[in-house]
Amino acid sequence: MKSPFLKTLGTACALSLLLSGTAIADHTVKVGVIAPFSGPFAIWGKQFKDGVEVYVAQNGETAGGHTVEFVYKDSGGPNPSGAKSLAQELIIKDGVDYLGGLVFTPNALAVAPLIDEAQIPTVIFNAATSSIVMTSEYFVRTSFSLWQVSEPMAQWAYDQGIRSVVISVTDYGPGNDAQVAFGSAFEELGGTVLDAIKMPLQTNDFAPFMQRIKDQNPDALFAFLPAGPPTFAFVKSYNENGLPDAGIKFLGTGETDETNLQALGDAALGLTTAYHYSADHDSDLNRAFTAKLEELSPGSVANLASVGAYDGAHVLYAMIGAVGSERTKAVDVARGMEWESPRGPVSIDPDTRHITQNVYIRRVARNENGVLVNEEFETIPNVPDLGLMQ
Amino acid sequence: MSTDAAKTLAVTPPRKRFRTRLLLDLVLIGIGSATFFLFPENLGFVTRVLIMIIFVLSLDLVIGYAGIATLGHAALFGSGAYAAGLFAVYISADPLIGLAIGIIAGAVIAFLSGLILLRAGGLTLLMLSIAIAQILQEIANKERPLTGGSDGLLGIDMDPIFGIFAFDFFGRTGFWYVFVILVMVFFLLKLVVASPFGLAARGIHESPARMRAIGTPVYWRLVGIYTLAGAIAGIAGALSAQVTELVSLEALGFTLSAEALIMLILGGTGRLYGAIFGTVIFMSVHHWAASIDPFNWLFVIGGLVLVVVYFVPEGLLGLPAKLRQWLRAGR
Repeated sequence: MKSPFLKTLGTACALSLLLSGTAIADHTVKVGVIAPFSGPFAIWGKQFKDGVEVYVAQNGETAGGHTVEFVYKDSGGPNPSGAKSLAQELIIKDGVDYLGGLVFTPNALAVAPLIDEAQIPTVIFNAATSSIVMTSEYFVRTSFSLWQVSEPMAQWAYDQGIRSVVISVTDYGPGNDAQVAFGSAFEELGGTVLDAIKMPLQTNDFAPFMQRIKDQNPDALFAFLPAGPPTFAFVKSYNENGLPDAGIKFLGTGETDETNLQALGDAALGLTTAYHYSADHDSDLNRAFTAKLEELSPGSVANLASVGAYDGAHVLYAMIGAVGSERTKAVDVARGMEWESPRGPVSIDPDTRHITQNVYIRRVARNENGVLVNEEFETIPNVPDLGLMQ
Repeated sequence: MSTDAAKTLAVTPPRKRFRTRLLLDLVLIGIGSATFFLFPENLGFVTRVLIMIIFVLSLDLVIGYAGIATLGHAALFGSGAYAAGLFAVYISADPLIGLAIGIIAGAVIAFLSGLILLRAGGLTLLMLSIAIAQILQEIANKERPLTGGSDGLLGIDMDPIFGIFAFDFFGRTGFWYVFVILVMVFFLLKLVVASPFGLAARGIHESPARMRAIGTPVYWRLVGIYTLAGAIAGIAGALSAQVTELVSLEALGFTLSAEALIMLILGGTGRLYGAIFGTVIFMSVHHWAASIDPFNWLFVIGGLVLVVVYFVPEGLLGLPAKLRQWLRAGR
């Protein structure tokens, strides 16, 4: 920089950079994410973070001129008092304008009165009990509800000529939801529910239940279990007790979740489930999503948690882009929003603030690389949260 | 530990001991009040610590003083929490009446379960205590229409305390409410452990056979202590329900019982101050370590407990005595 002109230009550039830098810093909008990052549920927090990071990598760190900063807090497992005090701290101390995350229903419910009082728009990435969104006008949900996936499963099963089922669910909140949703829809269509078995949460020995199901000889078995060891044991038991040979079909929802699908091995082949997202979903957007995820955090598997967080980040970006920290109007931005997600076309229901989405009927198969995937073969378009219609 | 206590008893004149203790208590109360001004943005967390201290104090009474090895103390916490929560939802949202209901629930459940538990000892008692907590948890899970099951008990909306102090967003009312109750519980327990009743519990801890020989009704003393501890755990549960405005199945969970035990061991069993320090240290380390590195904070806690158990089995409160001993040995 020999000439004075260049010097001035350089200084001006540096100055303007500096100024614009501070201008952006002034517009930083913080989003607090409450999720488990430690303990037995730590995988959820990691999947959330990965999903959000993919979105940020693809769309930049700013939304409508506001820099978006995510602050992560560890809630551990279901722990309403902990979740509530974390939310309090995020709002008061960290000064967040938006909240996200939330895996467990009690945690989300505990946060509801706070976000109502402080007017903090909160995007639920998972917590799936239907009624949560009714507890605060500031909740928006980008996951699913068990009603949303169980009813279409019943419809599809009936269409396939299945007339009798045994329902077998784990005895806790979501299990009960799945049982009631599937059972009532199936009976309304004219099918028969031969038996509804509630299995204890702690058990990993399913042989007695399998025998009971086999003895009743239904056309199909509809099951709901929490992902993880119980699912392995259940599917293994289903095969070992000869239910497939007896012609009893397996119908489920999230049992073939991508995070433990490979471990299920050949036993999983042919299992039929209804769900809102498969990592195998055939679209360019999904391929870009899974590729970026693999690039940013190798080994991280795209599943309902990562896509819930990815779409959650999309809703947050849209709200922040439109109103910044004038957050009282933010939820109205989200109402009726429509976009293309890695899971397919989705929208936010203007009344319930729950995500309306396609539900896919999938079958477990090996893809060209020999990897187990949930292969989508039928689509039930634009399903709202049917639980809220009850 | 008992010989240590005897030594201090012999060496220090009682009046002076009383004065230093009182001074220490006043300092503690001062520090407690100061947290309100030092951490105005973390009151939610501080309040959780205070509630947990009440719960661990109750556990200390059972394990540290009476020597009842239990891993199901959450049964009493959860009973208090659910009772106070259900009372607030269905009958009256007055916090103090709710608190009384929580106390009664904790005491009644402790008395009834104590009748069975305390006939056993050792591992049998341990297993039974876990079983009772699990039975209660399963009942809460099954009674979904009433308790909300695994979704949690929803709809608690507390009235202002005395009709004046409303629970606020920053948790200021919640803090003072819990703090005042904690101070009351603490002084009550100080009286109890120094009373003949408390000394009898200690005696039973040291040697049930001897206590029986001098005519103490061992079984009923233990049931009495357990019931009192139940009432105090009920207070902690009720406060938690009222401050969080939600009760979930975890209030009756094994994790809560186990964490409380770790806090107690960390601080030192058989001393009320141990319950306080253990809880404060465990929860602070948890809080700060988890916010710095959410993935690995459990290592820090695990390491801390290992070090304490190996080098200072009396707990962190035994550290000064231990240091003195080491220094003397070094000389």
